[in-house]
Amino acid sequence: MAEVSLQKVVKRYGHHVVVPHLDLTIADGEFTVLVGPSGCGKSTTLQMIAGLEAISEGTLLIGGRDVTVLPPKERDIAMVFQSYALFPHMTVRDNINFGLRIRRTPAAEMARQVAEVAERLKIDSYLDRLPKALSGGQRQRVALARALVRRPGVFLMDEPLSNLDAKLRVEARSFLSKMHQELGITTVYVTHDQSEAMTMGSRIVVMKEGVIQQAAPPLDVYRKPANRFVAGFIGSPSMNFLEMGIENGQLVDPAVGFRITVPENRRAELGRTKAGRVVLGVRPEHLHLLPRDTAAIDALTFKIDVCQHLGDEMLLDVAAGPHRVIARAHAEDDARVGEGRAFRVDMDRVHFFALDSERNLAFA
Amino acid sequence: MSDAATLFMMRRRVLFGFAAKLLGFTLLGILIFIWLGPVLLVVMTSIKSNDAFLAGPFALPTQPTFQPYITVWNALGFGPLMANSFLYATAGSALAVALALVPAFGLSRLEIPGKKLIFGVILTGLMLPQQTVLIPLYDTLRSLNLLDTKLGLIIVHAAYGMPAQILMLRGFMTAIPREIEKAAYLEGASDFEVFWKVILPLSVPGILVGFTLNFIAIWKEFVFGLVLLNSEANFPVTVGMLKLNSDRYMSVFNLPAAGLVISQIPIVILFLLTYRKISGGNFAGAVKG
Repeated sequence: MAEVSLQKVVKRYGHHVVVPHLDLTIADGEFTVLVGPSGCGKSTTLQMIAGLEAISEGTLLIGGRDVTVLPPKERDIAMVFQSYALFPHMTVRDNINFGLRIRRTPAAEMARQVAEVAERLKIDSYLDRLPKALSGGQRQRVALARALVRRPGVFLMDEPLSNLDAKLRVEARSFLSKMHQELGITTVYVTHDQSEAMTMGSRIVVMKEGVIQQAAPPLDVYRKPANRFVAGFIGSPSMNFLEMGIENGQLVDPAVGFRITVPENRRAELGRTKAGRVVLGVRPEHLHLLPRDTAAIDALTFKIDVCQHLGDEMLLDVAAGPHRVIARAHAEDDARVGEGRAFRVDMDRVHFFALDSERNLAFA
Repeated sequence: MSDAATLFMMRRRVLFGFAAKLLGFTLLGILIFIWLGPVLLVVMTSIKSNDAFLAGPFALPTQPTFQPYITVWNALGFGPLMANSFLYATAGSALAVALALVPAFGLSRLEIPGKKLIFGVILTGLMLPQQTVLIPLYDTLRSLNLLDTKLGLIIVHAAYGMPAQILMLRGFMTAIPREIEKAAYLEGASDFEVFWKVILPLSVPGILVGFTLNFIAIWKEFVFGLVLLNSEANFPVTVGMLKLNSDRYMSVFNLPAAGLVISQIPIVILFLLTYRKISGGNFAGAVKG
C-alpha cells in the first residue's frame, strides 16, 4: 500500500515540454484514472511514475519515499501494458513468476503465490501454455497476474483494456473494479476512453497538453466540469456548446431567434464575464423535445437533421444557423427528420463558460 | 452492358490473365535454368566417367557411377579438408556471433553516449575489401605467432564476420517490442538479466540466421586460407581443392565436379536444418491480442 505524490514534476524532451508542471497526490488505496486525448501527457506521466521515463524536474514520492531517480525495480510498483508485453518464449507460469525468480523467492513460496493469483484470475488451467496459445482476454489476465503476484504498493495500468473487444472490455472493467475493492492496492490507470474513466475511477484526472484540467470524483467531473474542455471530453454524446449574447438576464442569438431566460440564482455567473457573450453548455439529456403544439417560449427551435434510434432512446442531430447540437429524446417521441421543433433547456443544469478562458463561470 | 459485350470483356480478361501467367512462368523458367543449369551440369558430370563426359559433356549419364567421388575423396584426402572447413566455419561463426551479441544489444536497446559514432566505426569494417586487410593481417598473425595455425584463421574469420553480425543482430533486436523489455525492467530485471533472460532467447532466430550466413561465407572463403596458411594439414576444403587445378587433372573433369558436389553438401544440409527457424514467426503472442 502506498501513496503516490508528484510534486512540481516537469517532463521535457530536448526543448519540447510535454508536461509543464504537474502536482498530483494519489491517496493510499485510491483508484485514479488519468484520462485525456492522445498526446495529453497521461502516458508520459504514468511512465514517469513507473521509472521508464526520467523526470526532468520535480519530485516523485511513493509511500513517502523519494523515488525520483530510482530505477523501476526499487519503486515497489507493477505495471500492465496496453499490449500486455508478455514474454513470448516463456510459459504462462514463467511469465507470472518472472519477478519472483529475479528476487530469488524460494520455490515453494513462489509456487504458492503463483497458484493463488492464477486461481483468482482463473488462468490456473493454462499455466503451462505459451502466450501465443491464449486468447486476447486470457493474455490480458496473465499480464494482470504477473503484475499482481508480487503484491506491489502501486499498480500502474496503461490502457489495459483497449485491445479487447467491446464485450470483454465491459467484463474486464467490472472485474478490475472488483479486484481493486478486494485488494485495495493504489492504482493509477491511464485511458483515453471517458466511459472507462467514469465507471472505474474513484477519482478522475482529466489532462490536456500536459496540464491537469480537473481532478475529482467521476460524478463531480460530470456535473461540475471545471472548463469547456472537461465538459466536452466527459460524457457521451458530448456536451453541446452554443455561443450566445447576454441581454438583461437572457441569453440571445438574434440571428436564429434564440432567447432564453437565465434563472435568478445563476445570473451572478454571467456577471463574471465582461465579454457580453458566453458559451452555453448543455448536455444532450438536458434538451427536452416539446410537443408540436407547445408555444416556443423560453425554448430553442431547431430543425431536425438526423434521428438515431438506439432502442430505448433516440439521439437527434439538430441545427439552427451556426448551431449544431445533439439532443436525447425518448424512443417513443414523435420526431421527424426535416421538421422544426422547439426544445426546452433545463436551465438549472446548464453551464456557462467564459469565451476567452473557457473556464466554467460557476467556479471562476 | 449487353451480354455480348460482357462476354467479350470476360474473354479478354481471361486471355489477358493467361498471357500474364505465361510470361511470368517463362521468366521463372529462364531464371531456374540460369541458376540450376550449372549445378545440374556439375552433378551430372560428377557421376559420369571422364570418357563419357568427353564424348558428350551435356548428355545425360547413361551409366551413372560414384567412382569419381571415391577417387577424389581418397586422392585429395577430403576427410581432413572437410573437418578443417567445418572447424573454421563453426568456430569462426560462433565466435563472430558471440562477440556481436553484446554490442548489438547495447547499440539497439541502451542509451550510450556516442552510439551513432560507434556504430558507424563498426560499419566501416563491413566496407573494407578483403584485399586491403590481407597484408596487415598477415603481419599481425606473424607477430602473434599465429601464422599457419588453425586458431589464427578462426580469429581472422571471427573478426571479419563480426561487423555484419552486429549490423544484423542489432536490426533484429530493435524489432523486439520495446514493451517486453520495459516489462522485464519493471519486474526487477537488471540490464544483464533483460539481455540474458529476454532479449537473448528472443533473438535466437536472428542468431541462427547470422550463424548460418557466416558459416556459408567462411565455408566458401578462399583467399584468407590461401594466404594465411602453408601446411596442407591446416587447409580448408576450398584451398585443398586447388590441387584439382594442377596439371595432373587438367583434362579430367569428373573429379573436380565430384569434389565440388562434396564440398557443397554441408551448406545444403545446414540450410535445410535452419531455414524453417529463420523464416518462422518470432514474437507470436508477445504483444497485441
